[in-house]
Formats: sequence, C-alpha cells, structure tokens
Amino acid sequence: MARRWFRLDTAALIFPAIARRDWCNVFRVSATLREPVDTALLQRAVDDTKARFPTFFVRLRKGFFWYYLEESREPLRVRQDYAYPLTYMSSRELKRNCMRVLVYENRIAVECFHALTDGRGGITYLTNLVARYLALKDGLSLPAGDPIRDLREKPPAEELEDSFLKNAAEVAMSRREEASWRLRGTREPRGYRHLITGIAEAEVLRNRAREMGVSVTSLLAGTLALSILEMQAEARPNRKRRRPVKITIPVDLRRLYGSRTLRNFSLVLNLGVDPRYGDYTLEELCRSMEHQLRAGATPQNMAGMIAANVQPQQVLALRLAPVWIKNAVMDLVYRRSGEMGGINLSNLGLLKLPAELDARLERAEFVIGPQRTYPNNCSVISQGGRTYINMIRNIRESELERRFFSHLVEAGIPIAIESNRRMDECTA
Amino acid sequence: MYCVKCGVRLQEGVESCPLCQTPVWNPDALQAKHAWPDQLPEQHNERDLSGAVGFTVLSVVAAAAILVVNFVLYGYLDWGGYVLGGIGLFYLMAVLPRWFRHPRGEVFIPLSHVAVGLFLLYVNGKTGGNWFLSFAFPLVGISCLLSTGLFCLLKYVKGAKPYILGGYLVAVGGFSMLTEFFEHITFGTRMFHWSIYTAGCFGAAGLFLLTAGFIPRLRVALRKYFFF
Repeated sequence: MARRWFRLDTAALIFPAIARRDWCNVFRVSATLREPVDTALLQRAVDDTKARFPTFFVRLRKGFFWYYLEESREPLRVRQDYAYPLTYMSSRELKRNCMRVLVYENRIAVECFHALTDGRGGITYLTNLVARYLALKDGLSLPAGDPIRDLREKPPAEELEDSFLKNAAEVAMSRREEASWRLRGTREPRGYRHLITGIAEAEVLRNRAREMGVSVTSLLAGTLALSILEMQAEARPNRKRRRPVKITIPVDLRRLYGSRTLRNFSLVLNLGVDPRYGDYTLEELCRSMEHQLRAGATPQNMAGMIAANVQPQQVLALRLAPVWIKNAVMDLVYRRSGEMGGINLSNLGLLKLPAELDARLERAEFVIGPQRTYPNNCSVISQGGRTYINMIRNIRESELERRFFSHLVEAGIPIAIESNRRMDECTA
Repeated sequence: MYCVKCGVRLQEGVESCPLCQTPVWNPDALQAKHAWPDQLPEQHNERDLSGAVGFTVLSVVAAAAILVVNFVLYGYLDWGGYVLGGIGLFYLMAVLPRWFRHPRGEVFIPLSHVAVGLFLLYVNGKTGGNWFLSFAFPLVGISCLLSTGLFCLLKYVKGAKPYILGGYLVAVGGFSMLTEFFEHITFGTRMFHWSIYTAGCFGAAGLFLLTAGFIPRLRVALRKYFFF
C-alpha cells in the first residue's frame, strides 16, 4: 500500500529550509504522572494512537519542488529522556521520524519537529497519548470530545487541513518593522540546553495581572521586556544607540477562526518598546504589551499576516523553482524576519483536561527550543493550579532569567525555581 | 529554602541558586532529587557526503567516457583534453571542498587559481598560442591575490566590511585596466578602449562604499536594503 503523504502547511514550509547542521526548530510538551511510567505500556499506547494522528507519525522527505511529510514505516520507539530537553534532531532522524516520545521516571515527553504541528497540536497529541496510556494501565475511560479523541474513528479532514489557506486576506500585510535588540552570550558547547523552570501559583499570577488590568501573557511579556531593557541599558549606556526591545508572542489562530486543525496554525506578533524615548515602569510595559496584543491579535490583522505568508506560495515562478532555490530564499527571509523579533514568549494557557485525567497528572510542561538567532526562549503552561514558566537557553549566562524571575518576585508573585543543572555543575 | 539574592524559592538540596549562582547554606538539606537524567545524547557527527560522492562518480564516468570516445575516434587526445581540463577544474572548485568538514578558502582559492593557470598553460601549448606568459599568467596571478586577499580580510578583520569591499571594488577597477594593458601588449589591441568604463564604474562603486564606511547612517541604510 502506498504511503500516505502530506504537503507541509504554510507555516511549516520554512522549518526544513532554515534547519542547520546543529539546529532545527523543535518543541516539547510533557506530562508528569503521579506514578512511574511503564515503558512497554507506553509503547503500546504510542502504537495505538498512530492511526488517529497520522500527521505525527511521519518523516520529512525532499521533493524536487517542495518538502513533504510521508507516513513513516519506521516504528516510533519510546526512548529514555536525556539530561537536557530538545536535543538536536538531526536530518537523519527527521528522515525516519519527526517526533520523539521520551520517558523518565514519572514523566512522558513528546518532542516534535515544528513542521508537524505547533504547541496546541502537540499538547492535544500528548493528552491523547497519556489518556490512552492510563486506559491501558488502569482502564481509565474518558468520553471523546475536546481534547480527548476517539482513537477508533478516522481523523477528520479538518484536523489535517492547512487552515492558513482558508483564512488569508486578499491583501498581504507588510512585514517591515524595525529590528529588535538581541541578547548574546557564550554558546554552550555540543548544543547543551539549560532549562530553568519557574513555578508560580496560577491564581496569584492571574490576580496580580488583573490588578494591573492586563492578561497573564502581557504581564510576563512586560516583565521580560523590563529585564531585557535593563540589560540593554547596561550594555549600551548611550541612549541614542539603543534599539527597540521586542517580545515575540505566538498567537493561536484556532480560536480566532474556529479551526480544529492539528497542523500548524499560529502566527507571531512582535510586541515592542523603544528605550530611546525614555524609561518604563513594569506597569507601563505590561499595559503597552496588552494594548499591542489586543490590537494585533484580531481576525482582520491576522488574516493580513497570513496573506503575507500564503501569497508568495501562489506565485507560479516561485512554485516552479526547485526546492534548493526556495530554501535559499526562505533562509534569507528568515534571516531578515528573525532579526525583527526578539525572545519568544509562548503561552499555551490553562491545560483544560477532564477531571479524572487532571487528577492523575502531577504537572505538565511546555518548552520551545532556542531560536537559530536568539539564545533564549520562554514558554508557559498552566495545569493543576500552577503556572510553569520554562526558560531555555543555549548560552552560559543566566542573567535574563535572574532578572526576569526577580522582577516577578518583586511584583508580589512568589516563584519556585527548578533547573536541569546537575549538582556537580552547581559547585563548578 | 530561598535564594537570599533573587528571592526565589529553590529546590531542596541544591547547592547554589540556578539564577545567580549564590551558594546555598543548608546543612540539614537532603540530596536533591533531580528531575532530569544523567544521560547525554550521542554526539551527532553527521555529514552529508552524498553530493560529493555523486559528483565524484559523475566526474570519473564523464572523464572515462571522453577518453574512450577520443581514443576510439582519433587514436589520441584531441578536444577531449579541454573537456577533461574543464571537468578537473569543476571538480577542484565545486566538488573537492565538499569532502572537507570546514573547507578553507585560504587554501582552495589559490589552489583553484593554480589549476586555472595550468589549464590555460595547456590550452596555450595545445593551440600553439604565445599568450600565456604575457597575458594569462599575470592576470590569473593578480586575480588570485585579489580574491584570496578579499576572502582573508573579510574572514579575519571584523567591522571593516565597507572599507574592504570598497577597496576591493577599486582594485577590480584597476584590474580591468591591467587586463586591457596585457591584452594590448600581447595581442596589440587598442589601449583604453573599454577598461576605462569598467574601471570608472567599479571605482565609483568602491569609493561610494568607502565613503559609506565613514557615515554610520548611510552604512545602516545600505545594510537594510542589501542584506544577504
């Protein structure tokens, strides 16, 4: 039987093109249970989900004109987790499977190449995998709905569609904007990733945001901006030489357009402040972020941004160009647009699960990898009354994390810190 | 257990704050239970040599086919010599660097020029021309110096791109005049027939870049519009 294959969705087109020998765009979602994970049962659960989630069990292939995803016949084996998240996914690995399922003690983690799906799609798959695992282990039976799917039914076409194509405006929005100031640091050798998790009580965080009249995302974006502004002020005392500081916020478009796709369907907004015109307080920054987020994340605005991605694909001359030419062009576009944005702050929000499943989880986490051109990234998810703020970096210096979490503590939000650093490194 | 500097709560048993590295003193603390395993991933030593292998096989097959055809048709190496030379040049410039993890421009640029020089020497000998020493050799030599110099300056001298590129363009303008000069003394053509225009264009572009080096705003504007 012929292997099933899928075109890359509009957002995914860029990810194979910008992958490098030591970097590709990968993210991770994980769930920690209250008891150790049985690897053999988890393997059965993974196998059981394959038919229902075909776009996750694929490998990356290169055609003459485009990359595409092809059903993988290589079994997806559950593996042991590593000392740090999001280890490099090599092109050889991508040619076999674009997803990993990892296990460590009580934790089940799924790491996905971004061309498959975005964070929302990833967390939907993980939820179903954990539900299936618990069904096999303890007979946990959950009604099908959202996010739990009936594994016996065929995946509906709307879950496999490229929703960008349906929702593009007629006129594309300009991508031009001023470049952001960029953090730099000493690169860790061999691709090591530091992960620092700040854990806050979700209620406390929400209340503090409400007091400021902003959302949790805006509060965190404002705090990140304040930390980066301070670092820039130290690095560039001359105010005239400073550059805007931007926080890149992915916006889940499913809610805006009522889509149920499990492919990529999010776009980023670059929210920025310009330090050349004066200093900002935390409250001012949070309000500015909130204002920009509300103004930017509208269906009309997003449709214009979608059109900017979709329209180049429809130019006949570009469609006919071989994949290596497209790669070069997309790499140029990425280098330019990558310069515009700053640190990513990806907030998946509250993980809504059926009560029976929620009670079985100790915690859930979401981690996005560092970008190619930016060493730090931040991702957030709330579950079980706690908010997990994951800050990942591929450089030694933890200055941004120190300032960011200290500002949150000063703002009246107690934070507990965990890291993947080993004990022997602590004393080094 | 809290960090006295950052004010964040720390995991039980950690020896220092992960944020600010301030040591934690807590003699009663138990060894921390770590949330991450010790296992490090295997180091990927991945290199895609399929292109290098493919082109090598293709070059060898093409060279062998040309040799066979030449000897079958003429019994000696006729036009095949030029084609073989061309294949050799292509291999040296485009395929050979692919075998190396970090091909060094400082080595491959002069090497390519030497190969081009040898190829031209062969053509000169084969056609009975008398232009190698007075025309091809000096031009290939100067081109080698200019290209290698540009590469090394761009690689090793940071923050001087407009000056380097500006100087290079001016030098290319001069190179075009030299080309016409060598053409004149070798083939007896008219002097200052065409090179004055190319030298003018390259020189003007070079001087513009050199000027841009001194004006930061112009430099930024150029970077914005001609990024690569």
